Amino acid sequence: MALIKPEPESAIVVDHVSKSFRLQTDRAHSVKELITRRDRKSGADHFQALNDVSLEIPKGSMYALVGHNGSGKSTLLRCIAGIYQTTSGSVRVDGRISTLLELGAGFHPDLTGRENVYMNATILGMSKKQIDAVYDDIVAFAGVEQFIDSPVKVYSSGMYVRLGFSVAVHVDPEILIIDEVIAVGDAEFQRRCFDHLYALRKKGVTVVVVTHGLNTVESMCDGAAWLDHGVLQLTGTGPEVAAAYMDKVNAAERAEREAADEALAEELGETTASGSSKPVQVEDVQITAVEFLDGDGEVSPFGVHRDPFTLRVHYDAIRPVPSPVFGIALFSSTQVHITGTNTKIDGVDLGTISGTGHVDFAVDALPLTPGDYEITVAISDEYVQHNFDRREREYHLKVRHGGRLAPEGFMDLRGSWSVGSGG
Amino acid sequence: MSTPAQVYAYRTLIVNLAQRDLKARYKRSILGWLWSLINPASTLGIYTVVFGVILKGVAPTMGSGRTGIFALYLFCALVVWNLFSGTINIAISSFQSAGGLLTRTYFPPEAPMVAGLVNVLLQAVIEACILMFFMLVVGNVSWTVVIILPIFVLLACFAFGIGLVLAVFNIRYRDVAYLVGILLQVWFYATPIVYEITLIGGAGHTFLQCNPMTHFVYAMRQSIYMLGTPTLINWVVMAISAAVSLVGGWMIFSRLAPRVIEEL
Repeated sequence: MALIKPEPESAIVVDHVSKSFRLQTDRAHSVKELITRRDRKSGADHFQALNDVSLEIPKGSMYALVGHNGSGKSTLLRCIAGIYQTTSGSVRVDGRISTLLELGAGFHPDLTGRENVYMNATILGMSKKQIDAVYDDIVAFAGVEQFIDSPVKVYSSGMYVRLGFSVAVHVDPEILIIDEVIAVGDAEFQRRCFDHLYALRKKGVTVVVVTHGLNTVESMCDGAAWLDHGVLQLTGTGPEVAAAYMDKVNAAERAEREAADEALAEELGETTASGSSKPVQVEDVQITAVEFLDGDGEVSPFGVHRDPFTLRVHYDAIRPVPSPVFGIALFSSTQVHITGTNTKIDGVDLGTISGTGHVDFAVDALPLTPGDYEITVAISDEYVQHNFDRREREYHLKVRHGGRLAPEGFMDLRGSWSVGSGG
Repeated sequence: MSTPAQVYAYRTLIVNLAQRDLKARYKRSILGWLWSLINPASTLGIYTVVFGVILKGVAPTMGSGRTGIFALYLFCALVVWNLFSGTINIAISSFQSAGGLLTRTYFPPEAPMVAGLVNVLLQAVIEACILMFFMLVVGNVSWTVVIILPIFVLLACFAFGIGLVLAVFNIRYRDVAYLVGILLQVWFYATPIVYEITLIGGAGHTFLQCNPMTHFVYAMRQSIYMLGTPTLINWVVMAISAAVSLVGGWMIFSRLAPRVIEEL
């Protein structure tokens, strides 16, 4: 008899939820409108923020909502938190919710840090006794011990935000809802935040987060949903959704660039009357091809485990580019980011390049286990700020067995084993 | 929407909101909360000088048989009026200023208004204490002082119901707050506070009798100044106006608030 894995219980069930807003204008509306709800039925001045969204968030998972600005992520969070009432559909929530939609919500500038901690924690649903129990932790986590009896208006914006975050994560929620707030604070504080979220999750807290940090989604989230203009595009595991979303963003960017290229070509075409249909290259340098070479320098459609391997990037620079940075990133077919490097990381200065040419990245023995991989290749300026060209997971590499047993996972560490005796 | 039970469940929040407003109000002042004593006391002092010394206003003889003191007679009514107007104003302002909070976290939208009401009631109690102190000084006190409690409760319900409705309308039409300022002034003079109802005859008298505030003011003066008890009609009008206002106001608020919150 097959063991049937029980379905994990849902902490949140969003069932065909739609939400529309009345568009606010400067004009005051008639009193009759407010009373009769007439405005609800006429759709003309309404904005549909969510359109028939359904999803389930399992208990104890970390769940991300991704999408561009204005895609309805925050509206969905507010519907889940009960701040907004849905226009149609329902949200079922099983557990005590704590919301973190803005840090330091309810902080009064004239009150001291201590007074505000109590105020803020109460708003988040804690009793005085509960706050007393974690008060010291809150202050220590925020690192504002020295200033706790000063009014928060003298706090730096960082201190203010840290104190707000600290209160929110010390509320003992069953479900924590976070809206893009982790991006604040310095690196050290961000790391502590993630550690704390991790600890909360281990305690079985369901975390729902809106984020633009796709790395967060990939590495930390069990599940994710992607919204676009209020319509649910995809739900799935964190890496799946992050990859799909990334592809969409890149495609949109490429389309934009192509449109710009075309527009430029048209302009040039008019002046030179050349009539050439070749798209005009706008960026200083672009990737023209990527090849894999085997140990003999022959082009090969695949790599072999532990054999010499070279990745060759062909470029075309229409203008001289000083010290460009070539970079590669390696992904598994399941979208796990395995490794990545670039010439800057490896301390290589390519000097000024112009015209066509290629850059090689060679390894003596390919340390990848047999399987399918995807490769991203990019060329950026010397400060790695501007991407001249970036091909997101456009290249597929198949790694074959090289006549030996291959290790598990993706990487071959190529270590050596030995045995010693005694202490 | 929120039931009274849900609002009660958030009592810690309400107490904290009330405390926050109180603390914030007297931050950076040397006398601090003493100001909530000094303010009404000085008002009483000013009335004593203006109406007692300059205008020589005549007040009815006190319940104890002592010659009437106009300042105290007036102050009785003012305590009631301040509670009424204070509740309406705080309901409007606290709902508006809670907007930022209400769009970021969930709690019953009535909570900040109840917190405001708590502070207004506290101020009313302080004013009543000052009034009682001077009544003690002039020896005009009786058991009827306890009648203040039901009067305050009924009046708070009456004013809060009105405040709930006005607060929710004020979000979409900011004109409401300005209009309320004017209407409260009109209402003040349409209530026998600075004058006696006996001075008005005919249709005016009937009109004043239809004003619930007339009954609240009369009930207060009757129990604190005359040391008697309010009439049955007083009680009936006060109870009905409080019940109708609170229930009606709560229903209207509950119906409109969810949509209005999105616009805060």
